[in-house]
Amino acid sequence: MYELIEHTADVGLRVSAADLDELFSDAARGLFSILVEDLAAVRPDRRLVFELQSADTESLLIDWLNELVYVFSTQHVLLSRFDVQVQGARLRAEATGERFDPQRHHLGPEIKAVTYHGLTLTRTAQGYVAEVILDV
Amino acid sequence: MIAGEGRRYAGPLEKVNDYCYRIPKTYKKGMRVDGLIFANEALIQQIVDDQAPEQVANVATLPGIQVASLAMPDIHWGYGFCIGGVCATDPKQGGVISPGGVGYDINCGVRLIRSNLTLADVRPRLGRLVGALFAKIPCGAGQSGSRTFSVEELKTLMREGPRALLAYGLAEARDIEYTEARGRLDWAEPDWVSERALERGRDQCGTLGGGNHFLEVQVVDEVFDDVAAQAMGLSQGSICVLIHSGSRGLGYQVCVDALHQLAGVPAMYGIELPDRQLACAPIGSPEGQRYLGAMGAAANYAWCNRQVLMHDARQVFESVFGRSWQSLGMELVYDVAHNTAKPEEHEVGGRKKLVYVHRKGATRAFPPGHPDLPEVYRPIGQPVLIPGSMGTASWVLVGQEGSMKLTFGSTCHGAGRAMSRTRAVQIASGRRVEAELASLGVVARARAWRGLAEEQPAAYKDVDLVVEVVHRANLSKKVARLRPLGVIKG
Repeated sequence: MYELIEHTADVGLRVSAADLDELFSDAARGLFSILVEDLAAVRPDRRLVFELQSADTESLLIDWLNELVYVFSTQHVLLSRFDVQVQGARLRAEATGERFDPQRHHLGPEIKAVTYHGLTLTRTAQGYVAEVILDV
Repeated sequence: MIAGEGRRYAGPLEKVNDYCYRIPKTYKKGMRVDGLIFANEALIQQIVDDQAPEQVANVATLPGIQVASLAMPDIHWGYGFCIGGVCATDPKQGGVISPGGVGYDINCGVRLIRSNLTLADVRPRLGRLVGALFAKIPCGAGQSGSRTFSVEELKTLMREGPRALLAYGLAEARDIEYTEARGRLDWAEPDWVSERALERGRDQCGTLGGGNHFLEVQVVDEVFDDVAAQAMGLSQGSICVLIHSGSRGLGYQVCVDALHQLAGVPAMYGIELPDRQLACAPIGSPEGQRYLGAMGAAANYAWCNRQVLMHDARQVFESVFGRSWQSLGMELVYDVAHNTAKPEEHEVGGRKKLVYVHRKGATRAFPPGHPDLPEVYRPIGQPVLIPGSMGTASWVLVGQEGSMKLTFGSTCHGAGRAMSRTRAVQIASGRRVEAELASLGVVARARAWRGLAEEQPAAYKDVDLVVEVVHRANLSKKVARLRPLGVIKG
């Protein structure tokens, strides 16, 4: 589950999930829900595979989201479905989506980057909660 | 709520004078210097609404910081450094360079183009003009520019800045002369820019981007300093174009890469930081030099971007008015950067020395007589261009002596946000904002309605108040106010 949170200059994302796989997957959907107005209308025409390794799980979350910003920025692909496996500071993910089509997709603000500022990733009784701030 | 949002700053704030407040260095462990916020009573009430002053205090802990951690009246909460912050560090005193002190959008900046057109010339064709600009100039996310540069070409742009565009017919010699630093930071090192950043930059030179970036057709509404206005070729009722954009995805990626590379570096040099987003390295260290080289390359790319945007805007004016841009008098007034870090000579404690001035959401404002200025501007001081929020007035100022004494040659950069984007969208839809702008006679075209709502005038501090403070504090002087007629944005 993800929700947008208020931030003066930028946009924040709060994600809660039962486990890290779901947390990373929901964070990715949260990111694309900012990039495109109707995420549900994105068709699963293309499949992309990601493998990432970072210093720790928190950095991995930032690197993962920045990876998606980079993919959208260079390939103009909107992704809506994610299957993510996180192990410690490593990640393997498959994502489906389609190329941005100005006729059918309405884009939201441009995301410059995902920042470390105010980054939290905590364990709760129900699983995990994370907060990140995006520079838009 | 995320740290910083919604919580008022509760620390000390001592009034220095009517335009300056101090956070004493005794406030927080690790502060090496005071914090100084340039603001009046009305603005300081807004500024303490969030944790931006706390960020001013955090920056005061950076090694080698000189005199004070400074904030301009348009200060608002950023990630790590506040936006509207100025910090000068001395490399000989362990001074650091920090990507957070520059920002993701390296060399985000503004350029102003004048013309000999009047309101009467433009008013009847305004809709067509704005439509043609919107059709020609890519804006918003997911938009490629019409030009794609090879890796080798990109590297030349990053090494040389807009002078490299002379060969493409996209720039004139005069354009280079009227760009801050002549559009070239000479320590730029394109080989330190990652492949990813190059990939993001390939097709984005000549694109406006999203967020608060825009291109506006404006009219000079009021002139406050005839001599300076005349030197810039501005007169009441004349038409201008203001372009606000930066280094696009290339610059964002350079910052992302740098923060990634610097993750363990402060600890390696024994630097304790109150916030991870303040990541930094000593200026002379290999890590610091690497960031400086890549940042310089991204800054030069940003100047190329604004140069190409200006070229395209000139072409649109040519086709709408049926005359060459030269005969329309569409000369560049000046181009200023507001997200950079640069070595500059400043007087500290009675001695001139070289310091690295970080300006994150702050504009260089050199006073009259400064050798870096084009000859025409030496008698009046450096033009400072302050974009208002979309649809409100923008300002042209000139740098004053006070900036060299108080702020390492710096002044404000804009209105500064006062409301979050989500709240802005809640209070007014993009379509309503468009209608409101239309009722003011402003023609607006945007890719995303949400973007229009996010950037609505009510989401920003009053730019007139911000300008009043820097004027009274003698950081820069009012020359002219510009009113928008047409705006395009992402």
